[in-house]
Amino acid sequence: MLGRGLKRKLSDYEENMAGLSSAFDSSRSLPYPLKRQLVLNMCLTKLQTYKMLVEPNLHRSVLIANTVRQIQEEMRQESNQQPVNICPGIAPASHSYTGLESPGISLQLPSGISQQESHCCDLRSFPENTGLKLEDDRQDLKGAECVFGSFEISNSTSYLKDLAIDDIFEDIDTSMYDSDFCCPPLMPPRSPSLICRTDLSELDHIMEILVGS
Amino acid sequence: CVLVWCFSQVKGAVDDDVAEADIISTVEFNHSGELLATGDKGGRVVIFQQEQENKTQSHSRGEYNVYSTFQSHEPEFDYLKSLEIEEKINKIRWLPQKNAAQFLLSTNDKTIKLWKISERDKRPEGYNLKEEDGRYRDPTTVTTLRVPVFRPMDLMVEASPRRIFANAHTYHINSISINSDYETYLSADDLRINLWHLEITDRSFNIVDIKPANMEELTEVITAAEFHPNSCSTFVYSSSKGTIRLCDMRASALCDRHSKLFEEPEDPSNRSFFSEIISSISDVKFSHSGRYMMTRDYLSVKIWDLNMENRPVETYQVLGENHFECCWNGSDSIVMTGSYNNFFRMFDRNSKRDITLEASRENNKPRTVLKPRKVCASGKRKKDEISVDSLDFNKKILHTAWHPKENIIAVATTNNLYIFQDKMN
Repeated sequence: MLGRGLKRKLSDYEENMAGLSSAFDSSRSLPYPLKRQLVLNMCLTKLQTYKMLVEPNLHRSVLIANTVRQIQEEMRQESNQQPVNICPGIAPASHSYTGLESPGISLQLPSGISQQESHCCDLRSFPENTGLKLEDDRQDLKGAECVFGSFEISNSTSYLKDLAIDDIFEDIDTSMYDSDFCCPPLMPPRSPSLICRTDLSELDHIMEILVGS
Repeated sequence: CVLVWCFSQVKGAVDDDVAEADIISTVEFNHSGELLATGDKGGRVVIFQQEQENKTQSHSRGEYNVYSTFQSHEPEFDYLKSLEIEEKINKIRWLPQKNAAQFLLSTNDKTIKLWKISERDKRPEGYNLKEEDGRYRDPTTVTTLRVPVFRPMDLMVEASPRRIFANAHTYHINSISINSDYETYLSADDLRINLWHLEITDRSFNIVDIKPANMEELTEVITAAEFHPNSCSTFVYSSSKGTIRLCDMRASALCDRHSKLFEEPEDPSNRSFFSEIISSISDVKFSHSGRYMMTRDYLSVKIWDLNMENRPVETYQVLGENHFECCWNGSDSIVMTGSYNNFFRMFDRNSKRDITLEASRENNKPRTVLKPRKVCASGKRKKDEISVDSLDFNKKILHTAWHPKENIIAVATTNNLYIFQDKMN
């Protein structure tokens, strides 16, 4: 008998709640891969911020890191299935992160893309590749996981005997997460599109509610 | 039917400027319901006591008045790790009363303390060698011998720390729970659960350890833990991945392998970027009967039958985040949890009706009946409803408690404690 295990008939309140939870998936104006990248960036920014705290909140960090892993896994699977870029509006940039270090780079867009999307894609704070390359994913993942490395060090009673901090992080290129590029201005200085800014702040708001600062 | 609720009392400062130290961090009734304890961010515990019922005021139950206030925890500095340890009281749990004194456990992030609260209403008077103010008398003036007698004095309530259980947790303690044997208790942090004996402070047993060998593989933390109300070898712990594990301490010394795993399979159509975050469970509580347990996550309150692991038997929708608590009424027929905008929700498990109420100073005349609130989707707002867009997400009711025997509830907003009771007659 399934009776009590099923959700009850939706009341207005529940409809609303369902609406709110589907707002997490909000089907707004942003294309899905872009939304996903926004969320990924937000998460990485938060992880970077947590890493800088003397005593990061383990629970929050785990939740954010899992979200990063989930998104990266999805991207990985997509890139395995489709060798072509999913987000056709963003031209692939140079194959390494050094591209980011010259702030003058802007994304070249084919003329076929709609005006709206082109505005959205023109944000300089986006990392060049939308993380479709496996190498990028590994970098991201390491960015996420090295948060917990610092937990180990600050919380282990035998940390004095363990590896020096530098050894653990020496092979990780964190230039992608240099604060100049990643935090906090995910908002463009002059927003060409009101819709874009609303979506960004909406996602940011949701993250705030879910995880706090 | 869902009860009709009336305002009874509110405690705490009136002004909107909230001192951080006054933020209420935990609320707990004792086993008889006569005492109500709150802990705050400043490390203080305030205990309220219910007045004895006045025969002439049979239309309302006794009011709660301050009984004792004491500083439970102080901020500490860990010099080795260069970390400050917050004095915020995370949890309070009462022991059942065995004699005239009351005992409770209070904990911050790192240290658990056992407090004895005792009353003194008499004092000895008539010493031979001392004056009443304590000064010693000149022995040459003492010519008679008398026996001191106890005389009544104004009631004094004293709190004294009897045990300090320290240095057992590397991570932040989120739960404490007293075993039904009333001799042992557990304390849980993000990655480990320890078992203590109330008499022994210099050692504890580790019974759960989910710390991976390589911290970079960490994907899950413990969010809450509780002993079963009747079975002294059974406890549960919830995780940030939305699972609840039931463990039996008779199975092995280290309960890393669960006896039961409760998890609702995810609906793939509901998957979103935030799925990982919103599956986290913030609280788990056994029903008084021990037959069920309740969990609170971001979007719902779920009731689980301990005999069925693959899905909850009841699910109630409510909005929340990763620190909201939930509680049962005395007969396990109604469950309650807090939400945003100083709203709290109650679900009647029998009638399936629910109600949303608000803790607000606007309704602060005693016995004012609380008006049910309604939250609606944006754009569809009717009169008196609140749109979900205008919810104040900073006004959270994280902590709620239900009197074990009566329909009296304590609801904590940021820095105020509201007491409501059902409408009698």
